[in-house]
Amino acid sequence: MSETDQYYVERCLDGHPDDFRYLVRRYQGVLLAHLAGKLGNKDKAEEAAQESLVRAYFKMDSLEKPDLFFSWLLGIADRVAKEHQRREQIRRQREAIRSFSEEAPSPEFSQDYALEAAIAGLSETYRQVILLRYYGGQSCDQIANKLNMPLGTVTKTLSRAYAMLRESLQQHECSEIGEV
Amino acid sequence: MNCAEYKELLVAYIEGLLDETEKRSVAQHLKDCAVCRAELKEAGNLHSRLVNNGKNLAQTNLEDVVLERIIREQNVRLKAANKAAAGLKLRRVIMKSPITKMAAAAVIIIAVLIGINPFRSTITFAEVIKPILNARTVIFDFIVGDDETGPLMHEIVVGSRIRRTISNLPNMTLIIDLENGEMLVLDTEEKTAAYVDIKGQLQERTRGYIEFVRKVLMELKDSPNIEKLGEQEIEGQKAIGFAGPNEEVKIWADPHTAVPIRVELRLGQLFVILKNFKFDVPIEDSLVSMDVPEGYTLEKKVIDFAEATEQDFIESLRIWADVLMDGKFPEAIGTENYMKQIPLVGEKLAKLNLSDDEAAKLGMTLPRGMFFFQLLETEGKFHYAGKGVKLGDADKAIFWYLPEGSETYRVIYGDLSVKDVAPENLPK
Repeated sequence: MSETDQYYVERCLDGHPDDFRYLVRRYQGVLLAHLAGKLGNKDKAEEAAQESLVRAYFKMDSLEKPDLFFSWLLGIADRVAKEHQRREQIRRQREAIRSFSEEAPSPEFSQDYALEAAIAGLSETYRQVILLRYYGGQSCDQIANKLNMPLGTVTKTLSRAYAMLRESLQQHECSEIGEV
Repeated sequence: MNCAEYKELLVAYIEGLLDETEKRSVAQHLKDCAVCRAELKEAGNLHSRLVNNGKNLAQTNLEDVVLERIIREQNVRLKAANKAAAGLKLRRVIMKSPITKMAAAAVIIIAVLIGINPFRSTITFAEVIKPILNARTVIFDFIVGDDETGPLMHEIVVGSRIRRTISNLPNMTLIIDLENGEMLVLDTEEKTAAYVDIKGQLQERTRGYIEFVRKVLMELKDSPNIEKLGEQEIEGQKAIGFAGPNEEVKIWADPHTAVPIRVELRLGQLFVILKNFKFDVPIEDSLVSMDVPEGYTLEKKVIDFAEATEQDFIESLRIWADVLMDGKFPEAIGTENYMKQIPLVGEKLAKLNLSDDEAAKLGMTLPRGMFFFQLLETEGKFHYAGKGVKLGDADKAIFWYLPEGSETYRVIYGDLSVKDVAPENLPK
């Protein structure tokens, strides 16, 4: 579990598919948070996370820089999320046509959807740092290493990310109050 | 440091990333500054929210389910890849090489070479057989074997021309000109065409099979031995049946119109079913034209159907055992078995990685051997005992037959040696 992403990627490519387990363990939380923020539903996030991981596994030989596995995986997850959203949209449209109902079924939000949505709205670097720190269980040192930046920059990025998240959460709360 | 600068450090403070001096400095400032204390509280709240949500999501474990999905997907992909590769190779071997393609065509044509032995019985059911005897065009399906598991041949007969397709070689169409002893082989996928000379024995026997049916019916027409089988449900409709002596032929027909529905023939050890008849349906000339259709490329003729010999048959036994059955002789031999094996021939040849020439030689030997064998099959004068015998086993006789005009039998052994044996010394 303590080996680098690169090590496990290469193990998988060398014909040890079971070692993919360690990469799943390392990034499942990150993926779930990332996808829950996009899809707004824990079950859907889980399904999309599984799909992203399976897709990543079968595309691994196209990964040119194995040390960038994490960013690459998030990219795959983004595409999966988009496809799911499109499918969901089509499904709802069909449903609306069938039932002549304008009401979309209210999605079953995950526990802290507002937070996940706020994270999903961050730009890439901030999002990655937050995801790795709180959902990937990595220390700031490890993140500095993985994202190839000085520890000070990680700390600053984290601090900025906090500010942005708070702002976004505040807006969210305001809009909820406005709706009521 | 001013408040703004302290604010920058609050997250690092919460995360425990500050060194001792910084930490003390921040703590001191927080004591004095209510604004920053409020700010710390906010950041602390967010921190707990992140940590809690992270813990919450961490309860979901995707490892097993993801690995399971990967294994399932892997299997699906492997199967698809194998199938694609096998299909590709099969087509490459059978269809890409003009020689083996001809060999495959040969298999189809010899598969219906029956009707050599004369039928010695007579019956009357003139009305039933009239359409078969007099029709200008006949369309029907043709199956070798009595359980209808064999591949189905679809035949369109117009005068002396036959258009023939076979269910387990979907890309191949044969047009046979019995009058001129010529066959046009079309590969409908590759869009290639080739002419094959079928003059001589092949022509006679092909012609024989159409005429054979007619002859059988003619002879049955005046026979007192015809047996009425009564009414029965056949091919999903009510039918009245007639049987010739020894049940060598059975015909089922519509009880009202007398149009035949199904004909079953037993010829020696060969069993054949003809069904789905359509009589006098207008058929476009182009369907039985011997011209190369537009858009098709003509390939050169490569097949050699000169007299097939016992040696061809022995070679085909060797291939059957060695290539198709992994070193053992098959349970049974015969046209029916052979036709079912056609796709397997291509598949197995593909696995051997033979050159085109070698594959063609194998592909040609098989139908030539069958060609020889069919004479014995329709006359019923052979015995096969090769089931389970290993190729090379010189002690076991696998096949014997009585050549025409001969007093002694030819006996073939597991090592494919042949001996002349008097009838009383035949293996039990």
